[in-house]
Amino acid sequence: MEAREPKEVEDAKTVIFVKGSHTGETVNNAMKELMALKRPHAISFAKKNVVRPFEDSASLEFWSKKNDAPMFVVGQSTKKRPNDLTFARMFDGRLLDMVELGIDNFVGMAEFKTPKATPGHKPMLHFASELFDTHPRFTQLRSMLVDFFNGEVIESISLQGLEHVISITLGPTPPTLNTAEDNTTPLPKVHIRCYTLSLLASGVRIPRVELVPMGPSLDLTMRRHQDADPDLWKAAMKKPKMKKQDVEKGLGKKRKNMEVDDMGDLRGRLHVAKQDLSKLQTRKMKGLKDAFDADGENQRKRRKAVSEEADDDDSGGE
Amino acid sequence: MDVSTLLQAQNDKFKSIEVDKEHEIDPGLLLVSDLNPIDAEAHEANLEDHLQSTARDGVQALLAALFSLPIHSSPDGPVAKLPAPTYELPRAKPLPKPKPQTKWERFASAKGIQHSVKDKKVWDEEKQDWVNRWGRYGKNKELEDQWLTEVPANADVDFDPAKDAKTKRKEVIAKNTKQRDANLARAQKAADPKESRKKEIESTLQSTRKSTASMGKFDKKLDGEKKIRGIKRKFEPAEVSAANERKSSLAILAGLEGSSAKKARRAEQDGQGASDVVNVRKAVKFASGGKGSHSLARSASTQKGKTSFKKGKR
Repeated sequence: MEAREPKEVEDAKTVIFVKGSHTGETVNNAMKELMALKRPHAISFAKKNVVRPFEDSASLEFWSKKNDAPMFVVGQSTKKRPNDLTFARMFDGRLLDMVELGIDNFVGMAEFKTPKATPGHKPMLHFASELFDTHPRFTQLRSMLVDFFNGEVIESISLQGLEHVISITLGPTPPTLNTAEDNTTPLPKVHIRCYTLSLLASGVRIPRVELVPMGPSLDLTMRRHQDADPDLWKAAMKKPKMKKQDVEKGLGKKRKNMEVDDMGDLRGRLHVAKQDLSKLQTRKMKGLKDAFDADGENQRKRRKAVSEEADDDDSGGE
Repeated sequence: MDVSTLLQAQNDKFKSIEVDKEHEIDPGLLLVSDLNPIDAEAHEANLEDHLQSTARDGVQALLAALFSLPIHSSPDGPVAKLPAPTYELPRAKPLPKPKPQTKWERFASAKGIQHSVKDKKVWDEEKQDWVNRWGRYGKNKELEDQWLTEVPANADVDFDPAKDAKTKRKEVIAKNTKQRDANLARAQKAADPKESRKKEIESTLQSTRKSTASMGKFDKKLDGEKKIRGIKRKFEPAEVSAANERKSSLAILAGLEGSSAKKARRAEQDGQGASDVVNVRKAVKFASGGKGSHSLARSASTQKGKTSFKKGKR
């Protein structure tokens, strides 16, 4: 139970692969291969379950709580929606958002007679199309896929362990497509490809990379989706407070006038107001007083001061 | 001498690592995004080649970024230290609530004590090997397991060093569990003082309900009171062996006396605390010069007759 408590920095998200009441060969194979890419953070349900994610999220929430897994891939194949894959995310035991994709074409890893990457290694992710930044549907898809493949934050990586890349490319953007609500232009297709890297000498430290298709290769169409509730999304995106060491390292840009210099010391700037020099208290030098000027108005004062001294001396002598 | 041809040949041998397009790179997540519009003609012409070439450009850009990170060598090869990710992803669980500091943590932070993590293995000089500090064949059970232990001459006749070491270890464990429970209770109280106070009152009420002669069985239940849980009274058979009856009676008396801590306190109050402070056996040995308590008694009785003026400097 203690292991299931929320942590400041979270572990990799476990994904549950669920099969619906009717699946097909394509869906089964696609799910098997996705699970192979996601191992060991993947759980596969053996039995088929009647699940309709877009209508009722209760079963998803129950499974998520039981298995302590915040992501789902539901595979179904109905007449209306053949070869259907639904990606779903949970937050705090409740459904956050969902994306439904239809598989148009699937080529499994077995078809590619090429060397495969070691399972468990972290893949590199590549997204190509400007729609991933501009169109909300595709922004959601990118977020979902990054979370699916590479959600875990790691501190360092062995450069020899960079073996494969998963590339998600969209079709060309049709000119009539925009982000308006009633826009009926069909969304471009999503192409997912996996390649292994082969590094070649390039004369400099950074090698030249060539790609070798590894599989699987999926061509998908966007179907339904469910956006996250704005409040739930805001709660899910809350970041933990930065520790003091990070601020000292210079990560917190909110604090002005503090910087880390080249020696690694934290330096701060203090802005002091202008000083009123007329009120400045200095050492008192009697000779510099106005009374002791050589000639001028204040001669009288001086003579008076001198005579007073003389009188004092006389009185003292007597 | 025309070097340009040689340079050209050299350059051709090595492939270029330049990428024309701009990419948005997040090294923390090994993520590269190519936000340029897709080339429709290349896409139509040969889909797979187009996909592979765009991916290659993106990966090249990402590799350039990864290789420019601080790298240190390790036995598994060069390891790059990744920065924090810039692309934000939603969490799976809400942020943990800050737990209140435990008693030790408060003391340590006030004193400035740094926490140092202990290693599981410890170097054993005798075995010349690393052994577990705790666990199955741990070093903490050394005293209990060794077949020979040096025992001081003044120890008890029935002093068992293995048993003694084991009880000491178990006491430490019990103390730690007790402190941990106290910390948890304190944290729970701090988190929800009303709930914890409610629970406290309810448990007191429950104990009062069964603090009757019949253990709450024949008492009327008031409105709103919950059912008493599992209070069974065991009735011993009328005839038990004399030894068992004696044992149970003495156990009752021992329970009435209280715990060892309470006994010590009471003994002190009564003026019998000397047993903790003075080792009677040692005192007798010293006073009698090794002759024993009988000789002391004899000398005390003979002393009574004599006048005691030779007492030395006072």
